[in-house]
Formats: sequence, structure tokens, C-alpha cells
Amino acid sequence: MPVQTLDISPVGRVEGDLDVRVEIQDGYVTNAWTHAELFRGFEIILRGKDPQAGLIVTPRACGICGASHLSSAAWALDTAWETEVPRNAILGRNLGQLAETIQSIPRYFYGLFAIDLTHKKYQHSSFYEEACRRFAPFTGKSYELGVTISAKPVEIYALLGGQWPHSSYMVPGGVMCAPTLTDVTRAWSILEYFRTNWLEPAWLGCSLERYEQIQTYDDFMAWLEEDPKHANSDLGFYWRMGLDIGLDKYGVGVGKYITWGYLPHEDKYQKPTIEGRNAAVIMKSGVYDSFSDTHSLMDHSFARENTTHSWYDEGNKDVHPFDRTTKPTEKNTQDFDNSYSWSSAVRHIELGRLETGPLARQIVAGGKHGEDWQHYDRFILDCFQKMGGASIHLRQLARMHESVKLYRQAERCLREFRLNEPFYIKPTEKDGRGWGATEAARGALCHWIELEKGKIKNYQIVAPTTWNVGPRDGEGKLGPIESALVGTPIADPSDPIEVGHVARSFDSCLVCTVHAHDAKTGEELARFRTA
Amino acid sequence: MVNVLWLQGGACSGNTMSFLNAEEPSACDLVTDFGINILWHPSLGVELGENLQKLLWDCVKGTIPLDILVFEGSVVNAPNGTGTWNRFAHRAMKDWLSDLSKVASFVVAVGDCATWGGIPAMAPNPSDSSGLQFLKRKEGGFLGKDYVSKGGLPVINIPGCPAHPDWITQILVAIATGRIADITLDELHRPQTFFKSFTQTGCTRNIHFAYKASSGEFGQRKGCLFYDLGCRGPMTHSSCNRILWNRVSSKTRAGMPCIGCTEPEFPFHDLKPGTVFKTQTVMGVPKELPTGVNKKDYALFTVVAKDATPEWAEEDIFTV
Repeated sequence: MPVQTLDISPVGRVEGDLDVRVEIQDGYVTNAWTHAELFRGFEIILRGKDPQAGLIVTPRACGICGASHLSSAAWALDTAWETEVPRNAILGRNLGQLAETIQSIPRYFYGLFAIDLTHKKYQHSSFYEEACRRFAPFTGKSYELGVTISAKPVEIYALLGGQWPHSSYMVPGGVMCAPTLTDVTRAWSILEYFRTNWLEPAWLGCSLERYEQIQTYDDFMAWLEEDPKHANSDLGFYWRMGLDIGLDKYGVGVGKYITWGYLPHEDKYQKPTIEGRNAAVIMKSGVYDSFSDTHSLMDHSFARENTTHSWYDEGNKDVHPFDRTTKPTEKNTQDFDNSYSWSSAVRHIELGRLETGPLARQIVAGGKHGEDWQHYDRFILDCFQKMGGASIHLRQLARMHESVKLYRQAERCLREFRLNEPFYIKPTEKDGRGWGATEAARGALCHWIELEKGKIKNYQIVAPTTWNVGPRDGEGKLGPIESALVGTPIADPSDPIEVGHVARSFDSCLVCTVHAHDAKTGEELARFRTA
Repeated sequence: MVNVLWLQGGACSGNTMSFLNAEEPSACDLVTDFGINILWHPSLGVELGENLQKLLWDCVKGTIPLDILVFEGSVVNAPNGTGTWNRFAHRAMKDWLSDLSKVASFVVAVGDCATWGGIPAMAPNPSDSSGLQFLKRKEGGFLGKDYVSKGGLPVINIPGCPAHPDWITQILVAIATGRIADITLDELHRPQTFFKSFTQTGCTRNIHFAYKASSGEFGQRKGCLFYDLGCRGPMTHSSCNRILWNRVSSKTRAGMPCIGCTEPEFPFHDLKPGTVFKTQTVMGVPKELPTGVNKKDYALFTVVAKDATPEWAEEDIFTV
């Protein structure tokens, strides 16, 4: 069979415009290229600006993960300015981050992913008619409920920050707000509404407490069979249909995973430093290498970027983000042997390409590394091992599994606020280097900042999708999504829905990735401007 | 049935996320109750690749009537006016826009990027971005000063970073139900119903503004954010404190200074060092005064206000 090349522009429903090129032979993808097709140049814009400009600009890099960008921007300044952050402010930031991610879970699942289960390709599945009833865009019973209710959790964000998306309420030294008991009570009530109207009745078909008993793959199987309510919940239904249509059979990827860890503990990170972060976060950082079955801690100094196959004139070497000298290529011609994306290729200095996202977080959560008190949960790692590795299906399970534990963390924040203690301690501005990180819904996010003479000298962002959607690296190794696409069966090359499944299983957020590369000097850009 | 096509240029998807927070009506209600047919949307559309390209060409050719074109994000012109730094469905996005704006009955720009250029157009504007009919306050933008859509209106600008979901849904419904003629646009093409009043209108800190009682620093339960923390509420046109955000609050209510994101100059002062979250003053007097107030009167107000300030105005008022 000859090789058939397919250029899919755009893939759609990946938040931003992702283009994919695949080569198909005998009905399977044999090679793949992912390319980000938008350049805005956010870090160029930040150069020379006020040290706090990132608090306004970076949430607007991505309207989907604005709280995550804001968290990273604030923590980066905290480490650079050596601030003190009161416990209430740590809780206030964590709660905002949690509200955003809890919002993202149903919005992503129904809005971006589950629509595809109504595709005509699956009309012969015995689950198809029910899938259409539940997941059809706008009119599906679960779609309408899930997409509409996704607006509720971010009401909590608005109680703290005034609005979601795009507040800047997290500032070095704390938060801008000082919530009252009324705000806390309303937030509880919003969480309860979310739980009793969607999470328990629609998504799980059981109580949070029952779901929390699931510790292993076998527990999950037993839960599915225990009660028709479980099997027919959106989770149970999705799980069964996904197996029926083979979503567990492809979309493997690179087999190595990263998370920065997140949710600093309110008593352990009041004097934030870059070095002290790993031991201070509730959800631990880490890397998991499935080939050697080992967990280890992650550190910002392990990150490298390579632009050999990206539209930048910066040579072929791996560099740490602090040392990027980004120069965008004026003529961004698509050349799949050379440069084809605005995204760089991010690598771990020793382990190479890593996948990030909920699957990565949950696989790392199953490791014995880190501190004893940190969150530990081996359910998804057990599934990973029992099911023989990653797949589209397991990525979904990992993402949705987080909904319950994040809900519990949000409850915890509300319990821990001490309303008559401070929310802000005014810091002193100074020059220096800082690093702030978190986990956005879709994976590892961090900001590097360098301040000199009271302004931003260099601002660098590596977003989750930069890890996942990046092109080939200096060694020609495929990026995580490229790698996950290889081996994908394509039933109908004129409507390659399977490519969409794989790409969407990473919940890619292109709007975030495509800006994440800056120029060392703003002046050089003038060459490219026409106006 | 009213066909809506929603596209994104140099965008963060924030207006889409905001739109999905709408409740009365919700995004789903628009489809089920208000006769809106979403032809395609980057986060919601079903088609991909060639199928989407066909849909777009059908709109351009008129095979599919395009009633409303919603655009989110800046128009990317780089490099050298080609727009290839933002390719979409195998073409520069600006070429799609150029074709689609000729066939659309109404064009709605949502968010600052589509209206004025927004953050991407901030100095040094690396992507050579502009808004649809403005670049900052300057008329023209991508489509030109004289552009009117087939329906006879210029681009309807719904600014904000992001735009409030109700501002978006209500304009879409106004068009869909044939009531757009009831809406008056201001000189910046903003619907006056949302943008005649000020952000300050309805702010819970108004009384503190009147008595010149300042918050001083963040995390406080008292005071007005205008005097020290750079709040632009008195100079910014929006309905943020009349139509609350996410149904519950607003930035100024929560304690975050307004940063003027519905005005073309946002982000103000290009975020130059010393301008972020700090009121710009000369000899202790704010450089920018509430809209329509002159310096002399402001000075007079100050004396009277300071003199009249009751004690409670300096105490915590939003207490636990």
C-alpha cells in the first residue's frame, strides 16, 4: 500500500488551532507532525515592562488556564522578591486554582471530547444511540447539564478575584481580597450544588465517599458491576463505550511523564523559594519513567528547550529557558523535514520527551518518592500497569478521576481559612530571578522571570501544551502527541476522527503554547514589522 | 434560524470561556430556545480539516447564509502584512476574515483583541495585530473606517478582557430576534446599554470614594481602590458593577482595582515600570481624574470630602 499523506487543518476543539500532518499506510498512521500555527509573542511584549506586568498579561495568554498562569506569575515574583505569603493567601490562591480546574473537567469532557462519541463511525456500537442522547452538542442531556454546570465552580473564583476568567487577584505577598464568612458560605454552597447536581448523580452515579473507596483497577471493575447506577453513570457509560469502540487500543505516547506538583501547603510555603517548593506542595512533583518503572522528583533546572524544528533562528542546541534567545523566523514556511511549528520541543535533560497532564499527575501520585505527608494515590498507576500503558481511554479516566480529589481539596481550603488573619503582607520590590509553577487542568505550567533595574529583563513560559504538542527535538525524537498518533487506526481518511481523539485526549491548549517563546531583545523584532 | 460562525485570531479563548459561563440565557439556551445555529466554533464545532474548510468556503460563496460572524482575538498581520503567523484552515486567518466580512449580515467583535487589538497589539506589537475596525482608539483597523456589514452596521464592538458573557449573549439575541435596531452604538461602536455607565456605577466602594477613604494596600476590608491602587473604575465605561461577573461579584467588589479593560488604551501605560496597580500622581493628585471632573473642582471636592469624612469611613466595613 502506498503512503497517503493527510494534512488536517485545523483539528478543532483543542483550544486554539492545531494542525496535524499524518502519513497513513495500510489504514494506520505511520508518521505524524503536530504544528502550532499562531504566534503572538507574549514574552516579547513583557520585556522591559513593570515587574508585575505578568500578573495582568499572562492570565490573558490563555483564557482557559488563567488562574494557573496567575498562580505561576505570582509565585515567580514571590521567589524573586523573597516575600512572605500568609497562609490565608496560599489557601486563596489554591482555591482559585482548584475552582478553575474543577470547571475545566466537565467543560472539557462534554464540550471538547465526548461529542466525538456521537460520530457516525460509531453507529454500529450498541452504545451509539444512548451516546447521542447524552453527548450530542448543545442538545444532549449530559452535554447541556455538564457544559452549563461548568460555569458554577468559577463563581468561587469570582468571589475571590471578582471574575473568571482573567482576574489578577494573586499578587506577590498574597491576594488582593479578604473574603468574609458570607463568601466562604456561598462557596460551600456552590460546591454542594456542583456535587449534588452533577458530580454525584450524573457523573459518578454514587456518593463521593463510595467512589473514594476505589484504590485499584480491580476496585474500579467491582464498582462498575456493583450497581446499575454506577454502570450507567456518565463515567460508567463512557468507560464501557470507550472499550467497545477501542479507545484503550491507541494513543500510547512517549511513556514518560512529568508534573511540577502543585497546591503549596498553607503552613509550609509562607517563605517561598525555588529550592523549597518540592517539599512544600500537597500534590507532589515528579517524573515517571515507565520503561524503568521509576519515580523521581522534578526540578526546573532539568528543563530544556530545542528549536531545531521550530520557526526560530536559534541554532540546534538544547537550552534552559532562562537562556533562550528566541528569534522568530520571518518566513514560517511549512517544511516537515526542517521547521514546522511555533512550539519549541521541551525535554528533560536526561529523560528526553515527557507527557504532561492529568495522566502524568496521577501516575506520579502513585510513586513512593517525595514527602510522607504528600498526597498519594496509586489507582491510575495501577490501571496503567494492568492495562499495559497509556491510551486515550486512560487519559480520560485520569482526568475525570481528579474531579473528586480536587473537590475535596477545595473543601479543605474553605475549612482552613482563618478569616481574621491577614491575606496580604506588603513586599519590597527587588531585582533577581524567580520561578513559579503549578498544574493547570491540562498539565505542567511554569514561569521563569528575571528582573533587572526594576523591570522585566526576561520572561519565559513553558506551558503544558508546549511539552505535549512540541515538534521533533534536536535528535529527531517525536513529541508526545506526534508519538501518540503513530499507530492510530484510520477508518476513513476523508474524516480522520481518530486523529481528533488522540489530539483531544491531551486536552491541548494551543492558545497557551503558541505564545510561549520570546525574543531576547525586543529590538530584533522590529525587522519583521511592516507597520 | 440564525447562522453564527465564531472564529478566533490572535486569541486566548478567554471570551469563549466567558461566553460559556452565561446562564440567562446559557450557550445551550441560545441554540435550543433562541433559534441560533452555531455553524462552527473553535471549541464547540464538530467538523475538522477538510469538512470545515468546505463549510467556510460555502459561507464565502453564499451557499450557506452567514447571519452573524463573531470574531475573537486580534487580526494578525505579521509578517509583512501577509498574516501567515496566524494560519487557519490552510490560509492566513486575515484572508478568511476579509472574505467572510463581505458576506456576513452582522459582524460582532468580542473582547479587546478583536475590538482594539488588545494585549497582542501592545508595544512592540510583535504580531502586527489590530482590531477589526480600530487599532487602539484609532479608527480603521483591519476592515477600515467605512466598513459596514450587509446588515448596515459597522462592526459591533463588545470589548472587555474578557467581554462579559451577558453582553455577548444579549447582542446575539438582539440580532437573532430582529431587535438590533433598538441598540445604540457609541463612537467606539460599543452598545451604549452596556458601556454608557462606568465601572464605578454600582461599586460597593462608592461611599469610600466619596469620602476619599483609601484602601492603601491589598487584602483590606475597607476603602476605595482609586486613590492608591490604580483603580480605573471612575474613568472606565462598563457595566461590571450592574451586571455582576459570574453572577456573584466584580473585581472592584472583591478588592481588585479596575484596570480599564473595556477601553481601547488597555493595558494602560503599556504596563511601563511603576504603572501596575499604582495610582499615577503629581504632587499627590491623581494624574487622571474621574471622567468629566476638572482639577480645580477635584481639589475643592477633596477639601470638602476630607473635612466631612465620618470616622467609620476609615474603619473596616466589609467585616467577617
